[in-house]
Amino acid sequence: MGGFLLKDLKHLIYFENLLQEANNELVKKGKEDGKFAIGYTCYFMPEVLLDLPGCFSVRLRAPGCTSPDIATYYMSGRVCHYGRSLFERALEGGYNFLDAQMATETCTVTCRFQEHIKQKKLDSVSDMDVIKNDKFFCEFSDIPFKKDANAVDHYTKQLQAHVLNPLKENLGIDTSDAALLQAIKEHNEICEIINEIGDYRKAENPVITGYEFHVIQLVSLVCPKYLIIDKLKETAKELKTRKADKKWPFRCKVVLAGSENDDPEFTKLIESCGAEVVCDRYCYGAVESRQPIEVKEGETPLQAIARHYLDTSNCPRFMPQHDMRERKQRIADLAKEYNADGVIVVSNKFCEYWSYERVIDTIVLQRDFGLPVCSIEKEYINGASGQLRTRFQAFVESVEIKKIQEGK
Amino acid sequence: MDIKKLAKDFWYGKPHTAEEGGRRLGDIQMPKTGLYYHREWRGVKDTFYYFHNIWMYNYVHMVMDIVKFGNPINFLKGTWRYRWMGQSYLPVIHWFDRGLAGLRGEALRASALHYRAMVSAALTQITRMFDADVRLNGGKKNDTYMHTIAMKETTWGGMVYPWSDKFQYVPVEMIPYFVTCHVNSHTVHNYIDAVQSIGLPADPCPMCQAESGLFVLNDFPECSPMFITCNEACDGSVGTAVLQDWFFDKPLYALTMPMLFDDPLVKENCMKDIEGCWKFIEEQTGVPFNWDLLVECIERQNKIQEFEWEKWEVAASPKGNYPINGVAQALYRIFSSQYGDLPIWHETDKKVRPILEKCVAKDIKTFPQTTHRVLAWSCAPLYYSNWCTWAYNCWGLNVVINMDSLMFNMTIRTDSYEHCLEDIAVYHMWAPMRRMAVGGMHHIFECWEYMEKFNCDMVAMYDQLACKGMQGVHGMFEDEFRKRDIKAFWMPHALPDSRIVSRAEIRRLINDYMTTVMHEEPLDPSLLEIDDDMTW
Amino acid sequence: MKCLKKVVGIGAVAYAALFAVFFFDLDGKLLFNVVEPFLVKHYDEMERPDVLKTAYDMNKYPKYDA
Repeated sequence: MGGFLLKDLKHLIYFENLLQEANNELVKKGKEDGKFAIGYTCYFMPEVLLDLPGCFSVRLRAPGCTSPDIATYYMSGRVCHYGRSLFERALEGGYNFLDAQMATETCTVTCRFQEHIKQKKLDSVSDMDVIKNDKFFCEFSDIPFKKDANAVDHYTKQLQAHVLNPLKENLGIDTSDAALLQAIKEHNEICEIINEIGDYRKAENPVITGYEFHVIQLVSLVCPKYLIIDKLKETAKELKTRKADKKWPFRCKVVLAGSENDDPEFTKLIESCGAEVVCDRYCYGAVESRQPIEVKEGETPLQAIARHYLDTSNCPRFMPQHDMRERKQRIADLAKEYNADGVIVVSNKFCEYWSYERVIDTIVLQRDFGLPVCSIEKEYINGASGQLRTRFQAFVESVEIKKIQEGK
Repeated sequence: MDIKKLAKDFWYGKPHTAEEGGRRLGDIQMPKTGLYYHREWRGVKDTFYYFHNIWMYNYVHMVMDIVKFGNPINFLKGTWRYRWMGQSYLPVIHWFDRGLAGLRGEALRASALHYRAMVSAALTQITRMFDADVRLNGGKKNDTYMHTIAMKETTWGGMVYPWSDKFQYVPVEMIPYFVTCHVNSHTVHNYIDAVQSIGLPADPCPMCQAESGLFVLNDFPECSPMFITCNEACDGSVGTAVLQDWFFDKPLYALTMPMLFDDPLVKENCMKDIEGCWKFIEEQTGVPFNWDLLVECIERQNKIQEFEWEKWEVAASPKGNYPINGVAQALYRIFSSQYGDLPIWHETDKKVRPILEKCVAKDIKTFPQTTHRVLAWSCAPLYYSNWCTWAYNCWGLNVVINMDSLMFNMTIRTDSYEHCLEDIAVYHMWAPMRRMAVGGMHHIFECWEYMEKFNCDMVAMYDQLACKGMQGVHGMFEDEFRKRDIKAFWMPHALPDSRIVSRAEIRRLINDYMTTVMHEEPLDPSLLEIDDDMTW
Repeated sequence: MKCLKKVVGIGAVAYAALFAVFFFDLDGKLLFNVVEPFLVKHYDEMERPDVLKTAYDMNKYPKYDA
């Protein structure tokens, strides 16, 4: 089932290997090239700013972290496994390559993780000296809960004060408008490639599986872009001639929506149950993060970046009434655009934003848009979960029955 | 039979400690229910003070206030309609009993006045909600409805000051959820279960769950044509706002609270958002912003804060003259600073001031059996906010101050619009459970500073099991306690949900700490193990 | 005089009765054992609308921006 019948993508194994650890071979190469590695966790920290000439962005992951014991001592077992896993990996020395962490307080647990690795230099609490890198610093930005003009203005100022200025002052990075425009250009190039690859998923019988796309998207988030772009281009080219199986090997198509997900094994699990993941509307997904940035007339590059990241995000953190409500429409629109038969809405255990959002999505998407919804709570790492497999299998069957009833 | 002792006990009440013969407060409680075989005999003077000035006075005022503030018929209809109302209004006097157990003299008087003020303030809101409620008024959106502004309970009421001559603010969940948890912890379980029944997992903060559950059970008064929400205190509150918007379905303004409030740029943004909220109110009400009225209300509120500082000064002194017990201090402070200005706060402060002054002037030891001065840190269990009354009676642990009381530690300038708005923004951002708990590590670790300031030698560390912000710093607190050699005990709880960690479990943990770590003997051993599993 | 005595007498009895209610927590016992169970039954049996049927309109309200 899944992509196994398609001819293997040339670089898939290489890409998979790059996802085995945060400090992967391309990150090492980037450092050897004299560039600074800048970590971040959230979409609200624009990766384009961390990809300015002289540095590169690494969206943090903690692959294979199933037992974050020391982090659990510090953060208890009652917080999101993702945040704890990141901290565990940091304590293990897995992020010592970082020269800076550009932090956001956008969800509580990742905020705490980043506070733990920050050198606070306070009398009231000891620093843990987690990241063993003399240069390392961690800087927080305040991210608005809205998308209006006031929010864009605030966000722009935050990015200037807490991202660009520290990059310039601490690492000597060129943060001029020209440099920003260059970074936007390179960013858009990556977006173009990923979108080209992603668009195959809209086809009736896609030539790429959700798992493969998930791996490719993740690679583009965790490696220096200038080192991975050629292989991405090659993959895009390869897909042009890749033949789909004669018979579509899946039983239905789904949009995967929800909270943080950097585990391609999870996508593989869904697809092994017969549901092809054709669209990824979750943190680390591509539908938002790979939209090209447009600098409109009268905007500075930074303003354009700020506006872009607020406009494109569909994070449940946004509180204005119209934003709250439009998010459901957005998922329904994506299902239509990608010819999906249903939606799998996922929240990570202890993720408060998505716990609530999932409840509403589950009810409204079915009731108002007629979309079958599978509502799941998962852990950070869950490839082998038998329970989830049962849920997905049952969901696929119910979608199939619906399709039969509708004569599709 | 020692007639002399009997007479002394009758006149003065039995002494506190077991060594002196002991009053054994645990023995007067009935098993399971927490009802009393008989109420405590506190000596002639204090028993009759309690009978007249607390029990009788409050029962009478619980009726009189309804007539004073609203329509008694609506009140009865509301009691019949809303579970949170019917189940928690009548046991109010028992809430007094639990919070004021064992108190004597000035401590009894001052603490009871705070309780009385909270009942009155609650009635101001309840009567307003019921008089405006479409459900109780034949489906009509009456004039009171049109002049009520509903807000999420954690939004500071002062946002509506500029319209307070014509409009009244109602924090939608403050009475149905927050206040009722203290009075009768049973009701909230229904709301938590209701929201879980529609698919919410059990792990988000139970406060947010309960606030949402009220709406799932359709148990909120339909009392305003608009709603102002916020993201206080955490991610869960954001989620709650989404659910509430669906079920409340009204024009909604999200008055957000930035987290990184120390950053001047953040304040600037927050000020604009507040102005956006004011613009929203103007649009919805058709009534312009009234600067003079805002100034008037803020100046009144500042007076409450100034007196609070005076109280803290006495509380901080190691002389032990502070006459307000831990639970009265905490709840009154949260209520008044969050709700905003009300006449009852001023009336109460006026009555408390002479008591405070008397205690200082005569060096009255208001909690004479204090063994440790305790700082309570993080957020408290709502179903057992009176744990500190028990802790004093059983172990002599005197909770002098708590984190929530210290949140809004400021007055607001009124000399210019800019200054005023700037301070309002700060006040707004220092929201309850926010300023320290999720406002950054340097604020949550202000704990030591306050320990020193209030001359505390022990920390009661609340451990709200579903608070991601506080769980996220659990280990660092452990490390700091050890490094600083601070006596601290953890108190796990699930905010409103008494089913997760029972009161008995909380007491057991404190007992264990006091015996095995502190090697101390209880002052009143009858309180070590009490069965109050079914109590309100 | 007789009337006054009667008033004082009734007053004294009422006062004593009230004190007994207070001291023996008869108010609490009545509320816990009788009133609350009655009210709980009432609230449990109350018909409640299915709020999940509430419409979720995307464009019902304008944008309320700052």
